[in-house]
Amino acid sequence: MDIDRLIKKDEVHRDVYVSEEVFGLEMDRIFGSAWIYVGHDSQIPNPGDYWTTRIGLQSVVMTRGKRDEINIFYNRCPHKGARIAEEGCGHTNGLFRCPFSTFNLDGKLRGVPYLDGYQDTSFDLTDPRFSLRKVARVAAYRGFVFASLAEDGAEFEDFLAGVKSSLDNFCDRAPEGTVSVAGGVFRVVQRSNWKIFFENLNDTGHPIATHESSYRAARQYSEEVLDGELPFELHIIDGNGAPPKFWSDLDLHAFDYGHSYMTAIFNAPDDPLSQQYFASLAAKVGGDRAEEILAVNRHNTIIYPSCSPHTSFQQWRVIRPLSVDRTLVEIFTFRLDGAPDELLQRTFTYSNVVNSPSSIVMTDDVHVYAECQKGLSTQGGDWVSQHRNAGQDQPYSGSEGGLIGVGTSELPIRNQFRAWHEYMSEGSGQSVSPEAS
Amino acid sequence: MTSVNPQPINSASDISYEMVCHFLYREARLLDQRKFTEWDNLFAEQGMYWIPLIEDQPDPINHLSLAYEDSMMRQVRINRLNHNRAWSQKPRSRTSHMVSAIVIEKICDETNRLVVGSAFQMAEWRSFGLRTFAGLYTHTLVVSDGHLKIGEKRVDLIDSGEAFEPIEVFI
Repeated sequence: MDIDRLIKKDEVHRDVYVSEEVFGLEMDRIFGSAWIYVGHDSQIPNPGDYWTTRIGLQSVVMTRGKRDEINIFYNRCPHKGARIAEEGCGHTNGLFRCPFSTFNLDGKLRGVPYLDGYQDTSFDLTDPRFSLRKVARVAAYRGFVFASLAEDGAEFEDFLAGVKSSLDNFCDRAPEGTVSVAGGVFRVVQRSNWKIFFENLNDTGHPIATHESSYRAARQYSEEVLDGELPFELHIIDGNGAPPKFWSDLDLHAFDYGHSYMTAIFNAPDDPLSQQYFASLAAKVGGDRAEEILAVNRHNTIIYPSCSPHTSFQQWRVIRPLSVDRTLVEIFTFRLDGAPDELLQRTFTYSNVVNSPSSIVMTDDVHVYAECQKGLSTQGGDWVSQHRNAGQDQPYSGSEGGLIGVGTSELPIRNQFRAWHEYMSEGSGQSVSPEAS
Repeated sequence: MTSVNPQPINSASDISYEMVCHFLYREARLLDQRKFTEWDNLFAEQGMYWIPLIEDQPDPINHLSLAYEDSMMRQVRINRLNHNRAWSQKPRSRTSHMVSAIVIEKICDETNRLVVGSAFQMAEWRSFGLRTFAGLYTHTLVVSDGHLKIGEKRVDLIDSGEAFEPIEVFI
């Protein structure tokens, strides 16, 4: 397939969203090589704990071994092919067992029934091909575990460089400096291609139109019942209705490998809980450092092509393609270790409003994604615009490098497709350096 | 809709099984008729609508929930459902509830409360087709100013941990 024909500087061909062939290549060339988020080490605190998820279309198991190391295996018995672990979190007492075989926590084949019957065959208990297959590379940063299915490719730290500051801020906000998954996981299915969701995460053009029904609903209640007051729940819904200048005044930062982030669209309220939390952080790191940490206030960060942390409200969205027109988004919430319990409760409140399958905000997004998918499947036009503020992005002078654009620029989208193009161009390297266009 | 019981209710023990059944059926019917404000008026002032995320979830505060809505959040949801730019409500959701196996589990005269369990199925038609929700309701009903009101409506979906397409109407 000629990938180059699908991408222009500021437009992409609709096939990137609707072609089964493109999707198959993405699973191979992008999800088969990029660093993909697998899970957080707090999900598997003890040896024998495991977390089963997917990398692209591959089912994988992340497990903690006896020496506290983290292993990630393909979820497939090498003997007959059965999966060795069900979806989600679990614990095994030292062995993985499928109906056909038994494996150690480090994936080595431990036993098969009727071993006598394997004499004089090519079967060998010690041959690695009869043990669980490990994914090629595993790396973690501050507890966030990523894996790559390819032996070669960018080093994890190089891959992460541009958005490492978001992961630092995610954890630095905790008085103990660490975070833990808490409160369960929301799972939402979208009838659209996975890239459409990524494009939305740093898009500031859509809220005022897409979310009109929810911010108007919140404002109506506020005006009719609360004399215009906006409690926390309504404040976070109302924000989508901010005027155009608010959005264009935001900063968008874009980095190598398709990553980006945008500055915050709303702040935590200055209430007794925020003050109590600040005191708990300041007690550990000092008041100046606490202020410095909380001054880094970002909305969605994008770690392309698998996840999106929201650093200031401790949310972490994981994007898992299911097919060319189906995407699963999982939403995790985190405890800031050492912070007051009430702060975690506020994190849950935020997520209930914004990220639950029953969110009155997200539902219009998901609907619009599906409408895009349907429209793109027609012959009404081959090209999809990414023109807004193209050619106006500037190199960022700060130490992080990358590009910076005005808040309403489609810089993050163009940046994602630069990385996409690089991954999809067979034989090309992993170096994805965005250049000011 | 006229009440099945014209007499004011003074205490939980005045409430018959038939009255409880009628209350639940009426509640479900108001939802299916999209009379959301009338439905919301069935709640006591502090009444909560709760869809836990996990089986046997002990509380709505220290864990995520599919929904945990007070009067404010219910009314905002209703405002949105009635808004003409609720894109995902074109065409609007249509629902049909079946409520059965109604059991009065607890009556407390001191607090004028009843706990009522039931089973339900809700079919919903959306632009993407017909889907079904199924599970158990647990209504905590309170006697307030001579009326039966909802103190809490807990909706335990049998697939609460599944991946969902957006849920917009009340279940």
